[in-house]
Amino acid sequence: MGEAIRGHNRSAPFRVVIVGGGTAGWMSAAAIRRRLNPEDYAVTLIESDDIGTVGVGEATLPHIKIFNDMLGLDEAQFMRETRATFKIGIQFCDWDLPGDCYIHPFGAFGEPWGGVEFQHHWLRALQAGRRRNSLQDYSYAVVAARDNAFEFPNEDRNSIRSTYAYAYHFDAGLYAAYLRRWAIERGVRRIEGQVCDIKRHAAGGDVQELTLKSGERIEGDLFIDCSGFRSLLLGGVMGAAWRDWTHWLPCDRAFALPTQRAGALTPYTRATARRAGWMWRIPLQHRTGNGYVFSSRFIDEDDARNELVTALGAGAPGGTAPGAAAQAEPRLLRFSPGRREQAWRGNCVAIGLASGFLEPLESTSIYLIQAAVTDLINLMPKPGAVADPRLMNEFNRLNDMQYERIRDFLVLHYMANRRVGEPLWDYVRSMPLPDSLAHKLALFRARASLPNYQYGLFARDSWLSVLMGQGIRPQGYDRLADAFPMDTLEERLAELRNRIQTNVNAMTSHGEFIANFCGAAEAMPAEEVAV
Amino acid sequence: MSANAPLSRVVVVGRDADLWLSVNALSGALTCVGVQVVAVELPTRLKASLVSATLPPLEAFHTKLGLKESTLLRVTAGSFSFGQNVVDLSGNVPNFFHAWGAYGAPIEGSAFFPCWLKARRLGLNRSFQHFCLTAIASQNGRMLLPDEATAALGRTDYGYHLHTMAYVAYLKSIAVSLGIRLYEAQHVGVERRDDGSISAVSIDGSVSLEGDLFVDASGEDAVLIGRSLGVASDDWRPHFKVDRVMSASAPAFTSIPPFAEIRTARAGWTALHPSQAATGVVHAFSSGLVNDVAALESATAACGVKLADASFHSVNPGVRAQIWEGNCVALGGSACVFDPIFDVEIHSLQLGLVHLLALFPVSARFTAERAEYNRIMRSYYERIRDFQCAFYALSPVEGNFWEKARGLSLPAALAHKIATFRARGEIAPMEDETFLPESWQAIFTGLGVVPDSWSPATDRIPSNRVDEEFRRILEFIKKKVLEQPTHDKYLESLCRPG
Repeated sequence: MGEAIRGHNRSAPFRVVIVGGGTAGWMSAAAIRRRLNPEDYAVTLIESDDIGTVGVGEATLPHIKIFNDMLGLDEAQFMRETRATFKIGIQFCDWDLPGDCYIHPFGAFGEPWGGVEFQHHWLRALQAGRRRNSLQDYSYAVVAARDNAFEFPNEDRNSIRSTYAYAYHFDAGLYAAYLRRWAIERGVRRIEGQVCDIKRHAAGGDVQELTLKSGERIEGDLFIDCSGFRSLLLGGVMGAAWRDWTHWLPCDRAFALPTQRAGALTPYTRATARRAGWMWRIPLQHRTGNGYVFSSRFIDEDDARNELVTALGAGAPGGTAPGAAAQAEPRLLRFSPGRREQAWRGNCVAIGLASGFLEPLESTSIYLIQAAVTDLINLMPKPGAVADPRLMNEFNRLNDMQYERIRDFLVLHYMANRRVGEPLWDYVRSMPLPDSLAHKLALFRARASLPNYQYGLFARDSWLSVLMGQGIRPQGYDRLADAFPMDTLEERLAELRNRIQTNVNAMTSHGEFIANFCGAAEAMPAEEVAV
Repeated sequence: MSANAPLSRVVVVGRDADLWLSVNALSGALTCVGVQVVAVELPTRLKASLVSATLPPLEAFHTKLGLKESTLLRVTAGSFSFGQNVVDLSGNVPNFFHAWGAYGAPIEGSAFFPCWLKARRLGLNRSFQHFCLTAIASQNGRMLLPDEATAALGRTDYGYHLHTMAYVAYLKSIAVSLGIRLYEAQHVGVERRDDGSISAVSIDGSVSLEGDLFVDASGEDAVLIGRSLGVASDDWRPHFKVDRVMSASAPAFTSIPPFAEIRTARAGWTALHPSQAATGVVHAFSSGLVNDVAALESATAACGVKLADASFHSVNPGVRAQIWEGNCVALGGSACVFDPIFDVEIHSLQLGLVHLLALFPVSARFTAERAEYNRIMRSYYERIRDFQCAFYALSPVEGNFWEKARGLSLPAALAHKIATFRARGEIAPMEDETFLPESWQAIFTGLGVVPDSWSPATDRIPSNRVDEEFRRILEFIKKKVLEQPTHDKYLESLCRPG
């Protein structure tokens, strides 16, 4: 105990050593450099260009803007560097029934007339047989997304044009590289190399020193494990047990395949349900990221690969297939859904894939990195001190909460389906659910009540969009909605619908907005193969 | 009634604030959608000396019920309360103030508290509450009327001190004026169906009142959920030393303080709730250590005046194992009995009502609503319990009572919160909290807990910036407080009829 007092009595800088680059490593390095005193914390990152990072074209959540703002990044420049596009939602196709499409927006549905949440008003009109549109039509962000429109949310909180947030699609490899430049310019030390040996303190088992293939030895006080699935430190050395979630989320493979940019630039990610998993479509400025997340239990790798290539209508690179030209061979990734029981053990903290993996269905990977880094910075040991078990407990508690919330939300996409006769979908439809999810489902089915968390994901409107989109229909709605005169309700619904459409019509197209705002718009020549 | 038919009749059985606040709230929300609310009033358990202290969210709740603040304060001879001043009568422990309002303001994107922690460690001679606008205003006998400038600094809030009997009478008069059907009863029994649900309540063995949903608002007696349905409570006594409370009355202050005062002494604590007509006194103690006579002596000494209308009752803190059982929902004291510290009873009732309305059943099939209600209410009540428990677990006050209180077991979530705060001055975020992070910071700090470290991001802020901001905040507080009307003057103008 006893804080280091400033001045000549100051402790030596606390040495943070990050193992692994990619988004996890460089987001961690940059955030620590930005938020903590460089005189108190020395940051070293070890990465090897020989070890590929997963870095698929990635989608994000609106929280990423808070992260970028914290670093002081210029938004237009960041978008240019990472070939980013805007994202205001995710379109899910064929998840409930083939042919169905719905959008999960970063935005509100309707308005809470009379203090009652909108879905109750909508359900009342539905049950009364009154004219009303699909719930989707009452979300500004949904309608904008369908129209491929984008603008920054209006600052006037009374305007319908303020009722959403946005995130980005970007090339994660370029984002990592961008943050790398940012961090190195500000004093983060990068070491090119691979860890081949890890030495622990005799007592307590904390990691003391890493040895690289080059023979170089690096000591540290806290080690951040960004080594990806291998989880070199937390899993490998500290022995954090693995909690497997394959029984809830059967997908354990992915093929990734970039194609040439074609057609209008969409301000949303698309996730299309398939026979043995789902395919993603992520629009970037210079190309489109595609992939097939699948379960090896329900399809073998060759069939999955072919299914992806066929679905894209994409032939080999440089070939003459009718669809958008592929820009590389499909690349295979293998993973296990689940997480490490504790993300922080001893003096090792796992961030990113080293701490766990949930498939990118709701673009949560980078969010988890951001949440972990933010919490770590708050709970970081002070110079001259060691990791405090009390703060490790708090870190792990927060980490648990984040993972479980996301898990429940992802499982919902799978279990609520009517794709009868397809083995994967039959399995997930009938599997036992996490209690927390079963409870939420029962409540929504009974009377359209939604979870309303104060911390973490997901927002109430997110749950609403996915529950409804996946075909869950409440039997009742909040009685207090009945206080509203029905004719007034009908009028309001019509007015809202019109107000949304009128305002969306006045928006710029996403493609045009990108060109004007950060215009590296036209298709870039296909460069690195990394998807 | 078929399972799909909507509920049409709610029978509320109870007494005092639990009954009348429930009846008004339920009726106000549900009558216009075709649900009839019927009240069955049991004999009061109120003492004339009681002055209820309320929490800030009650104001908005009253507004929804159509209550006007000025009428309320006039009718109840009530006053404002901006928080609680905790004073140790032995003089060993510095006073501290738990305010309904923000402490300081964020500095360069960092929370205020770690900045203060660090400055304190480096020799700052200003306590946490010095930076709290509401604390300073109220301790100077002033109101805090928010405006744009105060909103820019942070949140300001308040509760009330209301003469309980008058408050209850006022609430009842509103129910009567709304035309709610009222019955009086000495005893209430239940008629049950084969499945265990209640089909009707019987009043004094004669009148039988049918209903779809039954609300037990009878306080600790829990005549429906406890006595009739036999639902036990989870015992919280392992966490609390207080098992007996004395209520009494003291004369009104000449100048009415706009805050409560909690005076700790060797054998327990004495709370003073000032109002316009009189001061409500609550003395909490352990019957195993001190008898009623000695308790009255301690309370008298703590108040420094003669006390009138002293009455005693036992306290058995605990939460009903199922707050909603079958078709019977417990609200207020029948749902959860709290330790008397921080006066959470009316707020607990409000929470129960808000969530019952949010989950009000659509039909007789309400398994999901009931499960959710039980889950969320238990969660809210446990977080309140933890805040109260912290007051005893961390108190440095000397005396047999406090020594024993410190030795009691801690609920796990509270143990984690305390550990996290001790380590880093961070308040571990949890869902379903009633008390905001600054309340936790205020009582932890006031009780003398000094964290081992502060958030390292705070060290990034140049110390001259921090000093500047501290100065700015203190000057703003000084200026703002001097602009405020005194509590007495404000009450006078507010309560003037017409």
